[in-house]
Amino acid sequence: MSLRRIGVLLGKELFTGPKNFIFVWAIVAPVAISFVVSLIFGTLFSEQPRLGIVDEGGSQLTTIGRETAAITLREYGSVTDLRQAVESGSVDMGIILPAGFDAAVRQREETSVTAFIWGESSSRSRTILGVTIVNLVREIAGQEPPIEVDSITLGEEVTIPWNERLLPFIVLMAVFLGGLFLPATSIINEKEKRTLTALLITPTTPEDVFLTKGIVGIVLSLFSGVVILLLNQAFGAQPLLLVMVLALGAVMAAGMGLLMGIALKDVTTLFAVWKLGGILLFGPAFIYMFPKIPQWIGRLFPTYYILQPIVEISQRGAGLEAIATNITILIVLDLLLLGAVALSLRRAKRVAALG
Amino acid sequence: MNPRLIGSLVQKDLSIFFRNRFFAIITVLGIIAYLVVYFAMPGAVDDTLEIGIYSPVSIPAFAKLDEEGLEFVVVSSEEQLRQAVIDGEFIAGISLPPDTLTHLIAGKRPGVNVFFGADAPPEIKDAVVVVIQELGYAATGQTLDIDVSEEVLGLDLGGTPLPPRDRLRPLLAVMLIMVETMGLATLISAEIERRTINALLVTPATVADVFIAKGIAGISLAFGQAALFMAIVGGLSQQPLVVLTALLLGAILVIAAGFIIGAVAKDMLSVLAWSLPVIIILIIPSLAIAFPGSVTGWVEALPTHYLVDTVHRASNFGSGWGDVWQNLLILAGFDLALAWTGVAVLRRRMR
Repeated sequence: MSLRRIGVLLGKELFTGPKNFIFVWAIVAPVAISFVVSLIFGTLFSEQPRLGIVDEGGSQLTTIGRETAAITLREYGSVTDLRQAVESGSVDMGIILPAGFDAAVRQREETSVTAFIWGESSSRSRTILGVTIVNLVREIAGQEPPIEVDSITLGEEVTIPWNERLLPFIVLMAVFLGGLFLPATSIINEKEKRTLTALLITPTTPEDVFLTKGIVGIVLSLFSGVVILLLNQAFGAQPLLLVMVLALGAVMAAGMGLLMGIALKDVTTLFAVWKLGGILLFGPAFIYMFPKIPQWIGRLFPTYYILQPIVEISQRGAGLEAIATNITILIVLDLLLLGAVALSLRRAKRVAALG
Repeated sequence: MNPRLIGSLVQKDLSIFFRNRFFAIITVLGIIAYLVVYFAMPGAVDDTLEIGIYSPVSIPAFAKLDEEGLEFVVVSSEEQLRQAVIDGEFIAGISLPPDTLTHLIAGKRPGVNVFFGADAPPEIKDAVVVVIQELGYAATGQTLDIDVSEEVLGLDLGGTPLPPRDRLRPLLAVMLIMVETMGLATLISAEIERRTINALLVTPATVADVFIAKGIAGISLAFGQAALFMAIVGGLSQQPLVVLTALLLGAILVIAAGFIIGAVAKDMLSVLAWSLPVIIILIIPSLAIAFPGSVTGWVEALPTHYLVDTVHRASNFGSGWGDVWQNLLILAGFDLALAWTGVAVLRRRMR
């Protein structure tokens, strides 16, 4: 094995990689999935009614409305913009506050407000918005809240929001799409086009080639994983520890990619294997999504040992001590996988499968 | 044109398509996955805030606020109220002390306990507190002199919105159609690369026969899957002819896109590389329907806007020909333009 040759091969892979569809897709797909998840759980299942305001006189209502958690408030520059936002469903209700609104309210003068209501909004949203607006106006008018409310939360079980439940799936997708697919397709392509045979006529050894492809897979996988965690603001309090877990996950992904690259003949078969094998890879993520499924089942899947430390660090603020056992198992799994790659490579060389 | 020959070519293309394990698996698993996603989505919308209330004394103002979107259920004890909140029967439970009304009338601020389940989101907690304060204002007779003029924009569903699964239905149907771009493009690309298309043209089959056969094979796959999906999920229960016409025009759009991609792509990875951006762009208008307000008016520049808007309006609101004819006309125009481009690009490539 030669470090110089590996460096040259790495340079070539990194230069030609971004032109490769899988390279681009490995980054785009998790970002796209992350975007869709945030759309679904930020829009479709959001229980927070949305209020649009055109404030013609700098009303205090706009300022205090932003502070209430009951609604989401968006400001618009013109009545046309507001109408458009209500018609498209961007907001459930839109109100136009005329100039001098606050003064009129404080002096108990009669004032008028125009409200647009989105036809498809729920009556729950309409009621919450109506009551909240009236409450905010009362605050401007200086009316004291007549009741002292003491909120008491019952029960201990805290439900995990769906966007958090889906995060492990997206992270695994990010780590495995690039980490597994890039080395696998790269090797299969080289085998199909016989460029691998040409390469091996030079002093380059199969180990040089495979190590290079593995490193590229690990780098891409790690990069995608970090991007997804950044996008989802899920880095937690221990970012370095999280990156270390992602790196170990990337090694597992690249190891699997190398194994598939050695074993499979064409890209079509790789996609078919991915379709079926994906269940094994993403099993723990699906189990995590549904807390009622016995969580011990997840431990049967190798990717559990990537996912669990990530969840512990990013969502529960855990440190190294809490995840030490799972990390140890992950390292052992990585070593076993790399051993399997070395064995397969030796066997493949022996039966001249590479040539 | 030879119908028997075209039939044989269609049969050949379909068998080649299903011989490709990737596309065969995608096709079968695709429909199953879309059905699973559809049925996993809530089929009804909980559009009422159901609040439990325990009050040893009757406060008339509290009953008056029992309006649309808000429902108060009276329980007989605080213990029952707590249990009902824990069991998820109510989003919140209000426990009023016996002296609440006396305190309110006297101008004092009574303390009220409000119970929430552990899974209650903060916006709901805040909203319930706001509702309770409003009940207090109503009970003490504090009014506001504001005249509100309301105008409902868009189709008024009377406060009962579409269930998430019905809102997602057009998106899923359109995605099923769009994914077929890859299948047709692979068929064409493989024929060109292996030069089997030239071999075909040595037989009595004409270029027109080949194009028509590919088009029919593509349309059968794209339209067939989407129509099957819509039939299973009840998307054809209203205006089935309008929905099917829109899906058919959508399938023709996909065929045209497949012709173009098939002409420029060299292998399966290349087909994927070209198809995915095209599919993503064409799916964007569906997001505007599924997630209202997520995209702005520029989506009207995309042909699939007219497809998804028609499917949405016809299947969810029963819009008929008179309401959507403009959409269908524009979609047919896009179909013609793209199909012409596709055939021209493919002819050029074959030469």
